[in-house]
Amino acid sequence: MDGSADTADVLAVEGLYAGYGPVEVLHGIDLTVGVREIVVVLGANGAGKTTTMRAVSGMIPRKGVVRFAGRDISNVSPDAIVRAGVAHVPQGRGTFMDLSVEDNLRVGAYVRNDDPSDDISRWLDVFPRLKDRRAQKAGSLSGGEQQMLAIARALMSRPRLLLCDEPSLGLAPVLVQEMFRTLAELNRDTNTAVLLVEQNANLAMAIAHRAYLLETGAIVASGDAKEMLDDDAIRKAYLGY
Amino acid sequence: MKDFLQYLFDGLSSGAIYALIAVSLVIVYRGTGHLNFAQGEMAMISAFMAWWLSSNWMPIWAAVVVSMIFAFALGAITEGLIIRPIGQRSQFAVAVAAIGLLLGLNALAPFAWKVTVPQAFESLFPKKDSDFARIGGATWRYEYIGVLITLLVVATLLFLLFQKTKLGLAMRAVASNPDSAPLAGINKGRVLMVSWGLAATVGAVGGAMVASLRGNVDPSMMLAIFFSATAAAMLGGFDSLIGAVVAGLALGVIENMVAGYQPDIIGQELKGSVSLIVILVVLLFRPSGLFGTRRVERV
Repeated sequence: MDGSADTADVLAVEGLYAGYGPVEVLHGIDLTVGVREIVVVLGANGAGKTTTMRAVSGMIPRKGVVRFAGRDISNVSPDAIVRAGVAHVPQGRGTFMDLSVEDNLRVGAYVRNDDPSDDISRWLDVFPRLKDRRAQKAGSLSGGEQQMLAIARALMSRPRLLLCDEPSLGLAPVLVQEMFRTLAELNRDTNTAVLLVEQNANLAMAIAHRAYLLETGAIVASGDAKEMLDDDAIRKAYLGY
Repeated sequence: MKDFLQYLFDGLSSGAIYALIAVSLVIVYRGTGHLNFAQGEMAMISAFMAWWLSSNWMPIWAAVVVSMIFAFALGAITEGLIIRPIGQRSQFAVAVAAIGLLLGLNALAPFAWKVTVPQAFESLFPKKDSDFARIGGATWRYEYIGVLITLLVVATLLFLLFQKTKLGLAMRAVASNPDSAPLAGINKGRVLMVSWGLAATVGAVGGAMVASLRGNVDPSMMLAIFFSATAAAMLGGFDSLIGAVVAGLALGVIENMVAGYQPDIIGQELKGSVSLIVILVVLLFRPSGLFGTRRVERV
């Protein structure tokens, strides 16, 4: 397994239960993300993919152990989890619509105490379309540009782990490919581990090192992304060919 | 021309006071989405605090500064201890709680300071009969000019806070997308407490201005002003600071113009209702106010 050569996991989830009010969505899942790894969680609508992400980043109440870089963060508030080094790009992107592109990036650097200007230039170079619109309000961007902004905003905090919830949602196919390529490059160039949740399984599997299959709140299969692609049963059930 | 200028000068000073309270309302609304019905009474309590401090220990300006610090604590504690716990259960209950706070604070002032009649409040600005500028035949009293300058200073400081500081950035982020702000590492609870504290601080400035112009403090001093300030905040769009300032000044001027030119029909007694008619008409045609963000729901 390439990418997971490092022994330590940046994220280790054990027996994670979470849900909304009386409704339990996750029924005790185990999951790890290695340093520098891209891990994808696949699953149908309602399987609990988004809930997994929200439970890891502390947005919803959860039970079980969530360990980030060896530290138990299962009782830590969402903003403190960001400070610890986890950045979450939520479904629907979570951009600050009334703020300019540049201010969105500054918000991303909120947890840092140094001058974020260099990082702003850096990510505007990676996403040139944002550079042309740096003074525009985020609300005026297209869906693809907003997704780029959401990822750039998350990277401004210099995370060790990036949580990406359905980044392909609502994007044109050509943009989806570009975005996955960018994610793979970011993972390689910045040593940021990525936990990705996707319905677009083909493209996600192409850049992932490992994958988990989530079905009604439980992990039903996991393993090396390439090996899983070779498994006929899994391919038929989840990739549809 | 002389009358026009006179109504303009008078209107700008009462408008500046509306604007200060309207700005407080907008800061709270942008933060937690609530209309703080007790904003005016918080300002009244702060003015009492300034009166009490100045009549016992310190010069009036120092007393106002200390009352602003007191107001910050009052606002922050109100958000943390009352508004947030109630808001987690029911947003409607927050409005009821704020009205309760209005009545409670209104009753608290005479009780806490054991006073039943208005208490003399030292002026913050030169207030002798001869302290005025004469412009085009109209008189512009220095204390009126002082109130207007105070508003402009407060508005400028707020603009710098929101646009140039990290705290201001965090406050704008929470206002724009409260769910996402924690994902950027922002401690939303702390930002909301600061918002309420800041709003009460600006309100305390407004309360001190009112007390200074009246020459006294009284538990009912902010009630009518609160209504006009709410009208100004609505007219400005409720989420726009610039809107609150412009609308506050505009309402003050319109009220005085109407009352001045129609002394028999409207006059001083009915001029407060002019604000209500103005917002009724404006909101009929522009529901989001003059400067407000038009919310577009995307599904």
